Amino acid sequence: MKVSLSWLKDYVNIEMDVQDLASALTMAGLEVESVTNSFDYLENVVVGRIIEISPHPNAEKLKLCRVDAGKSPIQVVCGAPNIVENILAPLALPGTVFPDGSILQTCDIRGKISEGMLCSERELELGDDKSGVMILSGTPETGTKISSALSLSDFVLEIGLTPNRSDCLSVLGIAREIAAIQKLKIKYPVKQQPDRNKDIQEYTSVRIEAPEHCPRYAAALVTDITVSESPFWLRKRLISIGQRPINNIVDITNFVMMECGQPLHAFDFNLLAENRIVVRTAEKGETFVTLDQKERILDPEMLMICDGKKPVAIAGVMGGLNSEIANSTKRVLIESAYFNPLNIRKTSKKLGLSTEASYRFERGIDPLGTVNALVRAALLMTKIGNGKLTGGVIDENPLIHDLVPIELNISETGRLLGIEMDRENIKSCLESIEFDVENADADTLKVTPPSFRVDITRSVDLMEEAARLYGYNNIPTTMPFIHAETTQPLKTLVLRDKIKNILTGLSFMEAINYSFINESSCDQLRLLSNDTKRKLLHVLNPINEEQSVMRTSLIPGLLETMRRNLSQQVRNLKLFETGNIFLSRGQETLPEEVEMVAGLWTGDRYNSAWYAKETGCDFYDIKGIVEGLISDLNINNSCFTKMPSELCRYTKQGHTAQVTIEGRPIGLVGELHPEVLRNFDLKQRAFIFELNCNTLLDLTNKAKKSKLLPKFPFTTRDITVIISKDIEAMSILEKLNSFGEKLIENTQLFDIFEGDPVPPGKKSVSVRIIYRSPEKTLEDNEVNGIHIDITNRLLGAFNASLPA
Amino acid sequence: MENTIDQICTEALREIETAKSKDSLNAISVKYLGRKGIVTQFLRNISKLPSEERPKAGEKANEIKKILEKAFEETANRLYSQSPEAHDFVDVSLPGRSALPGSLHPITQITRQICDIFIRMGFDIAEGPEIESDYYNFEALNIPKYHPARDMQDTFYVSDNIVLRTHTSPVQVRVMEKCKPPVKVIAPGKVYRSDSDITHTPMFHQVEGLMVGENISFGNLKGILTNFVHLMFDEKTSLRFRPSFFPFTEPSAEVDMLCVMCRGNGCRICSQTGWIEVLGAGMVHPAVFENVGYDTTKITGFAFGIGIERITMLKYGIDDTRKFFENDFRFLRQF
Repeated sequence: MKVSLSWLKDYVNIEMDVQDLASALTMAGLEVESVTNSFDYLENVVVGRIIEISPHPNAEKLKLCRVDAGKSPIQVVCGAPNIVENILAPLALPGTVFPDGSILQTCDIRGKISEGMLCSERELELGDDKSGVMILSGTPETGTKISSALSLSDFVLEIGLTPNRSDCLSVLGIAREIAAIQKLKIKYPVKQQPDRNKDIQEYTSVRIEAPEHCPRYAAALVTDITVSESPFWLRKRLISIGQRPINNIVDITNFVMMECGQPLHAFDFNLLAENRIVVRTAEKGETFVTLDQKERILDPEMLMICDGKKPVAIAGVMGGLNSEIANSTKRVLIESAYFNPLNIRKTSKKLGLSTEASYRFERGIDPLGTVNALVRAALLMTKIGNGKLTGGVIDENPLIHDLVPIELNISETGRLLGIEMDRENIKSCLESIEFDVENADADTLKVTPPSFRVDITRSVDLMEEAARLYGYNNIPTTMPFIHAETTQPLKTLVLRDKIKNILTGLSFMEAINYSFINESSCDQLRLLSNDTKRKLLHVLNPINEEQSVMRTSLIPGLLETMRRNLSQQVRNLKLFETGNIFLSRGQETLPEEVEMVAGLWTGDRYNSAWYAKETGCDFYDIKGIVEGLISDLNINNSCFTKMPSELCRYTKQGHTAQVTIEGRPIGLVGELHPEVLRNFDLKQRAFIFELNCNTLLDLTNKAKKSKLLPKFPFTTRDITVIISKDIEAMSILEKLNSFGEKLIENTQLFDIFEGDPVPPGKKSVSVRIIYRSPEKTLEDNEVNGIHIDITNRLLGAFNASLPA
Repeated sequence: MENTIDQICTEALREIETAKSKDSLNAISVKYLGRKGIVTQFLRNISKLPSEERPKAGEKANEIKKILEKAFEETANRLYSQSPEAHDFVDVSLPGRSALPGSLHPITQITRQICDIFIRMGFDIAEGPEIESDYYNFEALNIPKYHPARDMQDTFYVSDNIVLRTHTSPVQVRVMEKCKPPVKVIAPGKVYRSDSDITHTPMFHQVEGLMVGENISFGNLKGILTNFVHLMFDEKTSLRFRPSFFPFTEPSAEVDMLCVMCRGNGCRICSQTGWIEVLGAGMVHPAVFENVGYDTTKITGFAFGIGIERITMLKYGIDDTRKFFENDFRFLRQF
């Protein structure tokens, strides 16, 4: 909502500096977003003196002027009849933006360069005179800005209104707030009572067929009107708040709307069939051409203003082309109605058409303000358009609006706000904004809000008004007294924090990607058509294609992050992310939200350094991270098995492990599939892991238990076996452990070797076995016996041999 | 007897003195003080002496043992200081083998700081779904369908009744549906709005706060938030409460804090106003309490919502909110 200081001053005395006014309004809840000088457009207009006038060689009506603009004289082509040498006139220099939007440039006029423009009052929107250039009196210095030479100053305040304050969608509304702040009274425009003569009934009638959507419809008739340009003062008012003047009739309706917040509409009465108004809802499929020349398709919920035969306006939203005010218009019917806010909002939403009128109706206008605004507009039309007001007004009001008093408990107010406010205090706050306050009993006030405050419906609304005007910052800052009882911390949060701490400890960097992805990510990840990750939830109104579906995997986000970093020449990345994925159960139901953690490692194992050669990271690096994470989560029975090929679509077959714990799959770790790399335009290998936090959560609840430390020393024996290359090395350890030998405390795989002297198709696997007894120091011969036995059992189990 | 031990001593000291290396010194040590060494043997043989000579001989032998041990130690030190090993050194300027930890995303770091402050004040943490029904996101919060307040937030829709939550406030409702008052809870999380420019990203983070009980007042809301801002920034960061409007609170307030950059003098960050808008807050609207079945005659409460990106930008001097989700390694590494 824009409002100019000079307009406000028509209704309230303002002595504050404009910046102080702005901050006072902000602190009263009307946030002033900007304060601008409304004469900013005159920035490049200066005082010029015509030094010399000579004829234009190529045009009889034009003259060439040498103009002193403070610096060296410039040449201006001018056609004004009133120029003579030595007069002072406003000179617009190139770059000037005129109120009509045109921009002045140095140009060639019939073969002569014009470096500026001598302007009339009208051209600068400083008055009505357009007969010739504006001659400046006095002795301003050439080159001074016209705004300072004429002491022009007016400020425009842009106010960001919250949706509840529809009463402030008018200059009067804001003036009312300013009056309350300054503890002054507002000067309303003179309220003139309409003629008691009921003439208007003889010419026209209004029938409301849908009173629930249109509780009130008032109309006035002005005849013998002359449609023309509005006078300067009216144009000025509209321009100052960013409205474009059209003609005196339309401008008056806009002016009154801006003044008091009541949208009005003017119909060409001669174009209304049967000269009457019918308010009804639209027929199904009915169409209508609005003022902006667009054809609108209507539905039966939309309220229409019709004449005796056809619709002439979409109620509260926009008028029709068929009854528009034209230069030929002689008789005007002015509409001033109250429409149901919900109905107008629905219509506006459905049509995708929001206007100054609909904006006000849908927020709720003053239900008792219709006739005042109507009369104000009608009288202005008689004055400005030379019209004759037909006696009386029509005021169809089938649903009478009653003002309802609200009880306000004084001690409850104090309790809610945290400050003792006495009766008089509350009373004076509320009365300053025109609320009617009566004493009900010792602790209660009976408050009747004015009709324009449609947002005030319950006592808490009154408490807010009292607090707002008392000043939030005058309410003491205190601490609450509340039970100290608490609950267990959220398990999901504890796990997430732990995972993040572990992974950053393992030198991974946390990323946060958007929760939406491109639908094509599924294809880029090579997902099969029946993959659960294709259960996509679509956003109906995405910002763009890249963010059109909710993610079903964290991997696409990490890959996009990798691509962006590679493009910035960062090629060594260790990244992880935790967050929800969303598995659709249909667009009409809430999706399944599953928290995941995923990581990505690409580039070198170490950043190149003096102590390490550049070596690319590999499967075992990322697997080590997952193992570290899982063990740090106090889970010690994780299992890594070969991922079936149909389940690793975006990772490389043979280079991917499925991670299971107690038989429950929790995720995968592996190398990214080369085709996926290409699909995401990535030029280097990458390794990923992806784990389900919801499942992990079920598995991490084991309590830690301390074990006794061993008292006796251990002894070790190594064993190397030659086995088929296909056998997974860890199966040797599993086998060893399965023997159940009590003296084996631990087993470690310490070497894998392929190639000469190991025969082709075979590998050697070396294992260290740690023997220890809880009861005594083991003797060599005892261990040797067990070790030989175990070795033989192992050889047998794997059809293995000892090294030659 | 005394002579013998003195001779042994003299001979040993001479040998020690002339030792050329650590190894030869060790050999000499073994020769005299080892398990079968000369001095050890001598000590062992003392028991065979007549009883009146034993104390003196023992004392003497132990004295000599100490002398020799000292000589060995001194010589070992001398030999070490003369050896090349003693002059070896490392280049302390070389960087150590990398053991650098990764880092938490700045949003995570600030979220943790915010949560820690409120936890210390006695709040619990709650979470809720990121995709919400129209009821929880709007209606239960006193924002009926077609209410103009819906224009305050550009909503991403999944269908007519399912939305990406536009704020963390639905968690308020979910918590109150489950728990009886008193309630004191905060709810951090991701929220979504259809908006994208230098100061808006379609996804961002909020922390919701809710305290409900008997006699919880607007003054208390001011107290809690002032304490929070003082801890998050510093004691000099004053707060300003401005009347505003949220359908689910009444009275409602926008809370500005003194600009951390210019301390109120006006600068680019605060658009010359000296104040920065950091959060919205207010007393829970009775309609919201009615929706969750709380008795509005007995309890009151306040709620607030803090934009985490905003706080993070102010804390770390970040100028473009989109940077948070580009995950440029060079950016992330700074925190």
